[in-house]
Amino acid sequence: MFGHTFSKRSFTRLAMALSAAALFAPAHAQQGPIKIGLTTAVQLQVGRDTQEAAKIAIDEINAKGGVLGRKLSFVVADETENPEVGINAIKKLTADEKVDVIVGGYTSGVTLAQLPHISSAKTIYLGVGAASPAITAKVKQDYENYKYIFRTGPINAVHQAKGLVEWISGHLIGELGLKKIAIIGENAKWVQDLVPVLRKGAVDVGADVRMVEFFDTTTSDFSPLLSKIKSSDAQFLVVVLSHASSDVFAKQWYDARFPIPYGGIDVKSQDGDFFDRVGGKSISQVAVNFAVRAPLTTKTVPFFDEFKKRTGRVPVYTAFGTYDSVHAYAQAIERAKSFDTNAIIKELEKTSMVGVAGYLEYDETHDVKAGGKFMNLLFAQWQAKGERVVLWPKSLRSGNMIMPPWLTK
Amino acid sequence: MLEILIFGAVTSAIYAMLAVGFTLIFGVARILNLAHGSFYALGAYGAYVLTTIFKVPLIVAAPLVVVGVALFGMVVERVLIRPMRKSQLAVLMISLAISLVVEQALFLTFGSEYRNVPSFIDQKYVIGGVDVAGQRLLTLLVSVVSISGLYLFIQKTRLGSAILAISQDPEAAQYMGIPSDRIFGVVMAMSAGLAALAGIMAGPFLSVQPSMHLLPIVKAFAIVVVGGLGSIPGSIVAALMLGYAETLVAYGISTSWTEIVSVAATLLMLVLSPAGFFGKRAAF
Repeated sequence: MFGHTFSKRSFTRLAMALSAAALFAPAHAQQGPIKIGLTTAVQLQVGRDTQEAAKIAIDEINAKGGVLGRKLSFVVADETENPEVGINAIKKLTADEKVDVIVGGYTSGVTLAQLPHISSAKTIYLGVGAASPAITAKVKQDYENYKYIFRTGPINAVHQAKGLVEWISGHLIGELGLKKIAIIGENAKWVQDLVPVLRKGAVDVGADVRMVEFFDTTTSDFSPLLSKIKSSDAQFLVVVLSHASSDVFAKQWYDARFPIPYGGIDVKSQDGDFFDRVGGKSISQVAVNFAVRAPLTTKTVPFFDEFKKRTGRVPVYTAFGTYDSVHAYAQAIERAKSFDTNAIIKELEKTSMVGVAGYLEYDETHDVKAGGKFMNLLFAQWQAKGERVVLWPKSLRSGNMIMPPWLTK
Repeated sequence: MLEILIFGAVTSAIYAMLAVGFTLIFGVARILNLAHGSFYALGAYGAYVLTTIFKVPLIVAAPLVVVGVALFGMVVERVLIRPMRKSQLAVLMISLAISLVVEQALFLTFGSEYRNVPSFIDQKYVIGGVDVAGQRLLTLLVSVVSISGLYLFIQKTRLGSAILAISQDPEAAQYMGIPSDRIFGVVMAMSAGLAALAGIMAGPFLSVQPSMHLLPIVKAFAIVVVGGLGSIPGSIVAALMLGYAETLVAYGISTSWTEIVSVAATLLMLVLSPAGFFGKRAAF
């Protein structure tokens, strides 16, 4: 009917031209939202806050039109604190949900177990909760397979140890004159990485480390341990806790009117309702927080306020990492002008942006940078009526330190 | 030394409350109740719910919870266990199923975070230089009183005699006109109530989370194997032994080793003397 216009040859040429066009067409010709997969311990505060923070970041980005025209969405998988379950969570996110990026994490042991599966799924992973430096160690050792792994927060265990040493040196020894310390930590991977650095650092700044002990994470009766600490003649008890029963520890410490004040890293104590949960028995405990509602950066106060508006509570540390991760990922895509994983990775490596707790940059092993303008350790103390007062660093101090009520008599 | 004496006593007291109920229901009704730990958990959670959510004062909440869990035990026995009594294996399985269902229900309702059960006593006492929390001492007292009360009840009352009769010879007891089935319900209620009481007393200073039923059942099992299934004096002696053994290990070696003690004790006893110290017949 069309005569010679559509000869076989011109038809072939047309087909080839169309295929070539399709090949070079921008990747986002495939519509549909960008899927973020959240893997976290859903039952705990760290998990709930991870989801909330992701929602806040996603809403902000979608309100501005999304990323290169595509909106963001998320799905959640429960990794609990068990490596087996964690691996299944990754499989669910990558194989079933086919997410574009994974954000989350809490237990270092779980994250380490998940790494090979994330790597084989060739999906970018931004860690927000696990602190072991072993997680990003593989990035340098085996870049081709592990370049997908990034850690946005918290600062890794070694940096945390250094932050603790600074506090011991400047505050405990420098201002309070408490040189004799006891160190106890739960028997978990991140603590095993942290304590040796802490001990050496403390000794270097003049502390008299009376004892160092690890205890099983499931311990529920601390009387033998407390007894040992008492006989060690320490003046301050430095704790390193995350998965252990912080609630039970606080209650038993208080019930026995233990004559030694305590503080340190206690993740459960970061929960806004920790004080109430233990019936006020954590009074005078000093706990590390990675951010408080103070202008650490231009984003800190607005984020805290938005979080409080939506949930009625104060965010825990995984929220900061999640919020920053989602924004960093979105910005990396914008700079790469592409959804190709390798291009995004190249841009993520160049991230330099304002985060909630400090400036966000990744070092050569894709680990978050710490200190100075970057993220730092803050020390806040539980005081009367559940008020949290920042004691350290001095520049952010919002009140005076108190001793346990029974020691001031 | 004094610390080990005092803390060992408190630990043994809690174990005794758990073991006595466990051995009672076995001695009388031949029920190896793997849901026994759940009564302990429900006691603690019940106290948490009534005091924290419904703002009921603890002194009122405690007896309510004990009675509530006792009734729950009675219902469980009547509805779930009694129909299966022909097969000990079926009873074992169904009690295990109950414990899992309770754990999941608690997990879904309350989440996996630790819950706070208030204490009766908040002060600290100093005994011979050792700081002891008031609640721990009260637990010791409550344990002694409740177990003595139970023992007196069984020795001195008619219902108690009936219970003894059934445990010695169920058939003969039935010929004498003793309603075995109803007594099983009562015994289950007593056993559950005692476990719940342990949960309410120990909840304030031990962990309250959905899987808290597991360790108690392992400990109770170890104790009754060592003491002899069905023997109340046996459970008390074995509870003391286990409580002190664990405390000695915790103070002497390390807290991480305490859990091995109960398992090792069970293993050893089953190999050396399966009837336990006081048991009249082998457990299996």
